[in-house]
Amino acid sequence: MKDLMIVARYTFKDMVKRKSFIISTLIILIIIVIGFNIPNIMEKLNGNNENTNDKILLVDNQNIFEGTLQRINELHLPYEFEISNDNISFEDVKQKIENEEINSSIIITKTENEIHLEYIVESLVMVEEVPQDLVSAINNIYSSLQITKLNLTQEELSSLTPNFSFELKQTEEKEVSGNVFAIMLLSLVLFYAIYFCAYQVSSSITTEKTSKIMETLVTSTSPRTIVLGKTLGIGVGGLLQVAIMVAVALVSAKTFLPEGTLEAIIDVSKITPTLAIITTIYFLLGYTVYALLYALTGSTVSKPEDINSANGPIAIIAVIGFYLAYFTMMNPTSNLNVFASIFPISSPFCMPFRVMMGVATIQEIIISILILLITILLVAKISIKIYSSAILNYGTKLNIKDILNIYQDKNN
Amino acid sequence: MGLKVTNVQKSFTGKKAVDSISFEINNPGVFGLLGTNGAGKTTTIRMILGIIKKDAGEIKWNGKEVIRKHVNFGYLPEERGIYPKTKIYDQLMYFAELKGMDKEKANNSLKYWAKRLEVEEYINVPAEKLSKGNQQKIQFITAIINDPELIVLDEPFSGLDPVNTELLKSVILELIDKGKYIIMSSHQMSSIEEFCTDVLILNKGKTVLKGNLKEIKQSYKANKVEISSTVNIDSIISSLNLRVISNKDNDYTIQIQEEIEATNLLEKLVQENIKINKFEIKKPTLNDIFIEKVGK
Repeated sequence: MKDLMIVARYTFKDMVKRKSFIISTLIILIIIVIGFNIPNIMEKLNGNNENTNDKILLVDNQNIFEGTLQRINELHLPYEFEISNDNISFEDVKQKIENEEINSSIIITKTENEIHLEYIVESLVMVEEVPQDLVSAINNIYSSLQITKLNLTQEELSSLTPNFSFELKQTEEKEVSGNVFAIMLLSLVLFYAIYFCAYQVSSSITTEKTSKIMETLVTSTSPRTIVLGKTLGIGVGGLLQVAIMVAVALVSAKTFLPEGTLEAIIDVSKITPTLAIITTIYFLLGYTVYALLYALTGSTVSKPEDINSANGPIAIIAVIGFYLAYFTMMNPTSNLNVFASIFPISSPFCMPFRVMMGVATIQEIIISILILLITILLVAKISIKIYSSAILNYGTKLNIKDILNIYQDKNN
Repeated sequence: MGLKVTNVQKSFTGKKAVDSISFEINNPGVFGLLGTNGAGKTTTIRMILGIIKKDAGEIKWNGKEVIRKHVNFGYLPEERGIYPKTKIYDQLMYFAELKGMDKEKANNSLKYWAKRLEVEEYINVPAEKLSKGNQQKIQFITAIINDPELIVLDEPFSGLDPVNTELLKSVILELIDKGKYIIMSSHQMSSIEEFCTDVLILNKGKTVLKGNLKEIKQSYKANKVEISSTVNIDSIISSLNLRVISNKDNDYTIQIQEEIEATNLLEKLVQENIKINKFEIKKPTLNDIFIEKVGK
């Protein structure tokens, strides 16, 4: 155990001190911060025009609205309005737009059967229709004017414009006890951690073999300690990287997005302690399974250029596991989803979601966790066995047949 | 106390790499494991240290398995390995701790050997910045940092310049003085002959000669005479039907079958009043014995 911690500590320190680790982490953090700032950057860029709101000239020279068009300013629309009852032609509007006095104009005219809105902009590129908020605002003001003329009582007015309230209910007895988006996000984070962090276990083991330090290492401690220590060290390093990214993403979201956006997306208050514990357990166990699988592939190759081809199958397994869970989430009561929540390569992605949906039974959770633990022990045992036999296998990549031979060979 | 290797065998893909090797190291000092390239030296060492499993036989240290729990050992592998990006101090401390040393002792030992092997100035430098010779010295420190009682050195002098070879030799002599059991493998006889008390010569996985080096050499008759003369003595040598192995500026090496031939030659040279600066009857060197035994 002491040796395990020494190997893990050394591996962890070696990993986080590397320039490649520091630079890649920094680049990702910068991308995250910039990503959350895109709305602000866009606003800043537009902000060069002092006020970002478009200025719209509303022309009602027939006085159709009888002066009530001024009320449009009280509706808090994202425009600045100039209202005119003068006779303004298309050419006049064109001149004003060219002089940058206004951005666009709506000329309202009334014929026998309809009220016609003529929306004039500088260019029709990117403008396909009259903005709906403007149309409904003008419509409402006109309707209000006409209703007022009917001299209705307050009750009659209220019945014409009722306040609707909405409530959602389900027929299923089990309740959703979490936040769908938060759990899906966590699945994505786990996938990222496996796909971009856990694979480093294999490169770490292969690099050591390339540097031919293996003989010194295996005579200093046992192969079991090396495999588990390296997996632990790199695993914790990878998790630290993911944790830093998630933390920076959360802080950035809180700081740079409009107030309340983060809370609206990830409502932590809906996540129960049981769900949080189960999700954490699955995250850690899932990460461990994949990290050990990468330790196995790292043991079979001895040249850095072979790592990618050896890791390919594990990456495919991770993708299959993720998508199996993701697509069956749409139908959590299907047999395929039950299978995905028990099958060890997909259960870490799937089971937290089922628990959140309230469709997972205690038995399913226990069986699923037991299968994950057995898988971890099995993969660890095979990895250590292959590692012990393959460490001096310099220069060649072991194929499946070699691996099976090593595993079956009791003398090894 | 010591190491006992009994009838150890190892085959790779049906080919015997090591064929029933047996030897014992009962006293401190250097045991020479000699052989040509591919003779089975490294395989034997790897089996002793448990890096690879033997097919048959027994390897015991004081009657017990050779594992770190039973014997504190150090190993300098033939395949030199080092963490290129890691500082020397960090990697030496790492291996010292893995070998069970506490930090203070490891630190003291590291500083002592770094100074002794003249690499003190590099301990805070990544290994890749060091010359090959200095990297090799660092690997040597890795092998001995934990003050092991059994030290296995596989081709310790390969790749070292003469100055560093002498430095390493002096360290090995220091380790001998400290009563260490050292197994030294090499195919360069001359560089290790001066240390070995016992030797085992391997050829194609089989033992061709083993025993105490001094006794082995004593069992061989003198076969050469080295003479340094002031004049050419070719005619005298040929008059005695002796064969000249080499002659450079009247420094002769002459082959003899019996020591009496050397005595006759010396008498003849005295009779002829020839001034001689050196006259030495020589027994076969380890290199001569090795070449004779492995047939090359």
